[in-house]
Amino acid sequence: MFFGTIGMLTLAVGLIVFIIFHQRKVIRYQGTLQRMEQDQQRMLLNASIRLQEEERQRLAADLHDDAGPLLATARLYLNENLVNMDKASQLQSIYNAKQIIDDTIQLIRNISHSLMPPTLKNFGLESAVNDLFQKISGSGSLNASCRFHDYKERLKTEDELILFRVLQELVNNILKHSNASFIHVTQNINGDRFFLRLHHDGRGLTQADFEKLNKSPVGLGLKNIQSRLKLLSGNIYFEKDISQTYYKVTIELSKEEVL
Amino acid sequence: MQLRTLSIHSGFLPIIIFLLFLNRNKENKLWVIFLYVALSLVTDYSYDIINHITGDEKKTNFYVSSCFTIIEFTLCTLFIFYNINARSLKNIVLICSGLFFPVSVFNLFQKGIADFDSLTASVECILIIFFSILFLYDQIREPELVFIYTSKKFWIIVAVLLYLSSTLFLFMYAAEFTKREKNYYWSINFTFNILKNLLFAVAFLLKKDSLLKRSFMKNEYNF
Repeated sequence: MFFGTIGMLTLAVGLIVFIIFHQRKVIRYQGTLQRMEQDQQRMLLNASIRLQEEERQRLAADLHDDAGPLLATARLYLNENLVNMDKASQLQSIYNAKQIIDDTIQLIRNISHSLMPPTLKNFGLESAVNDLFQKISGSGSLNASCRFHDYKERLKTEDELILFRVLQELVNNILKHSNASFIHVTQNINGDRFFLRLHHDGRGLTQADFEKLNKSPVGLGLKNIQSRLKLLSGNIYFEKDISQTYYKVTIELSKEEVL
Repeated sequence: MQLRTLSIHSGFLPIIIFLLFLNRNKENKLWVIFLYVALSLVTDYSYDIINHITGDEKKTNFYVSSCFTIIEFTLCTLFIFYNINARSLKNIVLICSGLFFPVSVFNLFQKGIADFDSLTASVECILIIFFSILFLYDQIREPELVFIYTSKKFWIIVAVLLYLSSTLFLFMYAAEFTKREKNYYWSINFTFNILKNLLFAVAFLLKKDSLLKRSFMKNEYNF
């Protein structure tokens, strides 16, 4: 009886100790996971702030280096001496100033369009992507095309802008790094999921590469893509096609989230 | 004899602590354990009183201990049932409990009077140990944010598990003990009853589970 009692006690104590240590281990593991997630979010936030700053710097540079000198030149043409000049010189100065002001208007319009493409604002994502791809194809370096299958109604304006920026970033990456000869984008809805798929035949990324770059301090653009998609509660998957001939990037969103 | 007295009086400790720290122990589940400790204390005292009235020690011991076993099983099972989250595990507890009651009541009236109802007590021990393991399994299946040893329910289960594990074999053989053997071996029951009451007191002393969870989240994760 004594041995039985001691055996049972040992088992009970062993079980209790095991539970305590196991639970401590699980909580520590959860804590580590949580900290990793927080670090990841901090990196995404940093990336988005850095991108915002870069964008501001670009805007400041455009305004300071291009618009500033143009307006300064126009001001030179329209100085106080203009009234003392002969008629022909006055007309010439006014004409030059007008030309410069027109250039400045065009420059500011371009800056404005780069902030919010008018096609996107007025006609939606499909037209904006078409527009972008026509410009790319027009350069002759690669063939870009798109096909929207289930796009009868437009998405929310702010969501369309986010998706457009993500696509722009992806296309930029392809143009810069992949050496592709074609880009093809398709859109469709399957059940309650909204899909955008991008195919290209250049050098691409797999999901493992994407996650690796996402965790490293480099790959600002990719972090920006992820932080933008996080706003839409969306997912992005990078994979090589089964045929191994092209790469595929899939953006998956909830239909309810964007429509 | 002294150990027996100490064991009986140790029941006052969790009761006093429970009442002193009533604010920390307002949950219904804890009232179940309070009721169990109080009944345990009353039962221990009632042996001598009923013996004095009836004059039949054997009969008194048998019926009082059998009834207390059923009450003990009911209260412990109720506590574990309330604290298990998984539906499937709750069903197992319900089914096993459903089997226990007919067996124990049948045994109470069918068997000849012995000094102690070994069968009912052993089955109770085995089932409560099994339920305690189910509870611990449920805890590791869905771990909470706080460490398990900071929660009241954990210390209560540890108390019950240690007490019943140590007394299982004692209860199994109790019916066959001679008076001398019983006096000798029953010290195991008294020792672990003291330990059980101490652990209950620890549980009643701890802060509320919800408060702990909140402070843990604040300190550890800085949410």
